[in-house]
This record gives sequence, structure tokens and C-alpha cells, in this order.
Amino acid sequence: MNIQFKKGVLELCVLSMLMKKNCYGYELVNEISKNIMIAEGTIYPLLKRLKDEGYFTTYLEESQEGPPRKYYKLTELGRETKGELENEWSKFVEGVNRIVKEDTENGKN
Amino acid sequence: MGKTEFMSKLAGLLDFMSEEDRRDILYDYEEHFRAGAESGKTEEEIAESLGDPRLIANQYKLNYIVRQPEPNTYSGSTMKSIIAALGLGFFNLVVMTGPFFGILGTLIGLFAAGIGIAISGVAAILSIVLLPNVIYIPDSAMKILRDINPGVYLFSGIGLICLGLLFIIGISYLFKYFFKGTIAYLNWNMNIIKK
Repeated sequence: MNIQFKKGVLELCVLSMLMKKNCYGYELVNEISKNIMIAEGTIYPLLKRLKDEGYFTTYLEESQEGPPRKYYKLTELGRETKGELENEWSKFVEGVNRIVKEDTENGKN
Repeated sequence: MGKTEFMSKLAGLLDFMSEEDRRDILYDYEEHFRAGAESGKTEEEIAESLGDPRLIANQYKLNYIVRQPEPNTYSGSTMKSIIAALGLGFFNLVVMTGPFFGILGTLIGLFAAGIGIAISGVAAILSIVLLPNVIYIPDSAMKILRDINPGVYLFSGIGLICLGLLFIIGISYLFKYFFKGTIAYLNWNMNIIKK
């Protein structure tokens, strides 16, 4: 799949997950890689970029074993952006589906 | 590839960023390895699914480049720069030229005065020797001059030389500040044009 396209979609995935609850890095990466084929290591650069752009903040929280974990928490900007991206995504999928289904219907004729 | 190898490869590839940023990023991967180990994966499996460190480092590089401000300082339009240059050029011509040459002329005049004073000091000292023999002086004037103690010539000569030299040194400093000021002003002009 086109890398730029995938990146845009990944942003939406990360923001959506953080809408539900604050997560630490491994949770986010694990959940995404379960559903989407991607080199897991490339999600961290995305997280850093989104953080630098102000979509979320990070904080450290103690874990049962070992050193504290870095948690990600959405900011107001992150919530707004999530809404916008979701809209765009829905419209995009609708558009693609219309074309694809039309195409298959034409194919039947 | 185990954890140690993965981490050292990645660390080496991230040497373009600040120490602080790099430590922050490496912490993420340390944490990832720990969390992966807790869920029962081996180091090799974790490193494998993280992917090639080069690919990861490239992603960070991409973020980094995008975040850097443009190296070009001519951020405004070219038209704006031209207008600024023209405006300042006019301002410089009308308002700044007068004071510039005025101050420059004054400084040159004072410098010449300093040289003149020093030369008169030298002349006063030389006159002790030259006065009676070489230079023709009317008798009436000579009478007065002979009555003056040669020491007066000597010391007033030394005094005049010193005064002249001090003058020259002082004016040299003023020259230096004047040129520094001019250069600073021109640089300031250039900055305005660049903006």
C-alpha cells in the first residue's frame, strides 16, 4: 500500500485509540500491527511527530515491573483532528465503494 | 538480531539529532522490548517485527527535516525585499548621507589638526638648534627670542608632540567607532531587506 496513504490512516488509528483511553506505546503498536501490516518500529516516529505537532502529550506512569511507562494522552487539538480525519476517511471510503461497486455491477452486465 | 544489536544500530543511525531527543526515542524502544518480553516474545521476534532500524531512522529523519525552518532567510516575497531596499536606499540618500560625510569630514579635520600640533612640537624643539644659524629672523624679533630660555622650547615642544599624538590616538578611536557604527547600520539595512 502507498506509504503516504498508510501514514494518514495510521494517524487516524492512533487518535481513535487514544479517544477511548490513554495508552502506552506498546499497546498502541500492538493493536495497530494486529490489524494492519506494518513494521512496528515505524509507529514510534509517527507518535513522536504527532506529539511534536501537539495532538497529544505524554506522561510517565509506574508499571508493576520495571521502569515507568510512557503514556499518551490526547489534547483538545488531537480530539478535533480526530473528528476531521474520521470525516475525511468516511467520505473517502464511501467514494471508493461507490466506484468499486459500480464497477462490479457493470462487470456483471 | 537481538535487543542489544538493534538498539546500538538505531542509536548509531540517530546521531543527527540532539542527545536529548535521541535518548527519548531510544527509551521508547527499550520500553517496547520490555513490554514484548513480558508478553512472552523473544528479543529476536520483537526486533523482527519492529523492522529494519534504517527504515525507522529514516522516518525520524523525515520528521526532523520537515520540522526544521527553511534555511532560506528570504522568507518574504522578492517584491517586498526590493521595495524595502528602494525605500531604505532613498532614506539613506536623503537622511543619512549628510551626517555621514559631516562626521567623516570633522574626523579627518581633527586628525589633521593632531598631526599639525605634533609637527609644531617638533619644530619648537628643532628651533633650539636651527634658530640662530639657519633661519633668518629679523633682529627685532631675534632679540625677544634670544631672551627665552631654550628649556622653554624643549618642554613646550615635548608637550606639543604629546598633545598631537593624544589627538591622533583619540581621533583614531573615533574613526574606529564611526566605521563600526556604519557597518552595523548597513547590516541592519541588509536584515530589513532580507525580511
